[in-house]
Amino acid sequence: MLKVEELKELIQLIDDSSIDEFEYEVENSKVVLKKNKEVVVTTVAEPVVQHVAPQSPAQPTQVSQSTQKPVDNNAQEDLNTDSNLHKIESPMVGTFYAKPSPEKENFVKKGSKVDADSVVCIIEAMKLFNEIEADVKGEIVEVLVEDGQLVEYGQPLFLVKAE
Amino acid sequence: MSQTKEEILKLLFQHKETFISGQAICEQLGCSRTAVWKHITELRKEGYTIESVQKRGYKLLEAPKRLTKEEVLANLNSRYFGKVIDFHEVVPSTQKIAHHLAEDGATHGTLVLADEQAGGRGRLGRVWHSPKGTGIWMSLILKPDLTINRIPQLTLLAAVAIVRSIKKVSDVDCSIKWPNDILFEGKKLVGILTELQSEMENVRAVIIGMGINVNIEWADMPAEIRDIATSLKIITGKTQSRVMLIQTIMTELEKLYDLYLNEGFEVIKPMWETYALSIGKVIRARTMQGEVLQGVAKGINNDGVLLLEDDQGVVHHIYSADIEI
Repeated sequence: MLKVEELKELIQLIDDSSIDEFEYEVENSKVVLKKNKEVVVTTVAEPVVQHVAPQSPAQPTQVSQSTQKPVDNNAQEDLNTDSNLHKIESPMVGTFYAKPSPEKENFVKKGSKVDADSVVCIIEAMKLFNEIEADVKGEIVEVLVEDGQLVEYGQPLFLVKAE
Repeated sequence: MSQTKEEILKLLFQHKETFISGQAICEQLGCSRTAVWKHITELRKEGYTIESVQKRGYKLLEAPKRLTKEEVLANLNSRYFGKVIDFHEVVPSTQKIAHHLAEDGATHGTLVLADEQAGGRGRLGRVWHSPKGTGIWMSLILKPDLTINRIPQLTLLAAVAIVRSIKKVSDVDCSIKWPNDILFEGKKLVGILTELQSEMENVRAVIIGMGINVNIEWADMPAEIRDIATSLKIITGKTQSRVMLIQTIMTELEKLYDLYLNEGFEVIKPMWETYALSIGKVIRARTMQGEVLQGVAKGINNDGVLLLEDDQGVVHHIYSADIEI
């Protein structure tokens, strides 16, 4: 059972994050937090059918974008809550290039170590090429888009485990 | 070249039709007559033909054919663009140098200019053939106070400025293929590569790289580009002044850039459309992942995005693709 202080802290964390809904179930209690409408906190005792360990939050799901028309980014739900993971987002609509030229190696891949000023990819729109830097020192833990894919403004491109 | 010698050369270019007295040079530059005489002697050794007549002074009769920054600066009418020139006889790529200069705090409008690029590059690491003495290979550094989403519009603006400059200097009418390829009768005359230095949405610098085939002869072009590229000399049959073209591009670009800052892309858009090659025609847009979209190019929207209407009547927004006409 969570203490009031812990609950308060949890609410604060959820509030500051981009999560809309949070569910936590352990032993005989369940906490459901919902955002954007009104914060509802329910603690109910339920018969435990199965023991659910506190789960690490799901990785952000990649919304596949193959259309040329950008969609409103707000529609894209982001489920990443691990505060240790830094998201590198696209600053503009355009094509994602994983490598400097077709015959070269990718700038980075999963497991690559990066510095804040390491170039991780290029985003191009209307022949304007924007080299994207990692912004943090750490390790690339996930590459979320494919070479040549059209990305949206604000779309997460990489997850970096910051050092 | 020493600072004083550069200044003397600039003055000689500015007074190309007349004499400038040794005394006037001394006064303007704050140096001695002996120093002026010494620098004139050096310039002569470097290939400048300078006439000197007692009591009248010096007159530049002929300059070597090579490009010099003094000649460009001498009659440049812009306020910022090209006012600071970083000139090189030969560089791997002006774009690379411009990137370093921008990081080291180069001012808005600084121009990196080279007579030859040993490793000139187009987009995605493609080679841009830039032989000595025949073209304009330059990169302009801008430090705009614009949000990142507006920067792609600058690539369209640059294309308009160059097309207009070519018309003014060489009387050649070229067209723009979306977004900023400049073609003459379907052959490439100018390539523009724009790159951005940014921290997320904060724009630090924009570098507009321009490669213009000015005086290259057909026979001197690499075989693989002879059918797809051209030059102003091939088109007009005459040698064209690189200096005048650079000066005109700097002033045109600055004029359009100021206009753009004051009135927005809405005023640049109709100009771009005037020169656009593909509007109203069926074109194919090939994306990086190999998808091909065919339809009628309807024009561009206020962001510079190409509008392509397919045969179902659906209008697609093209942000990024190779256009095939």
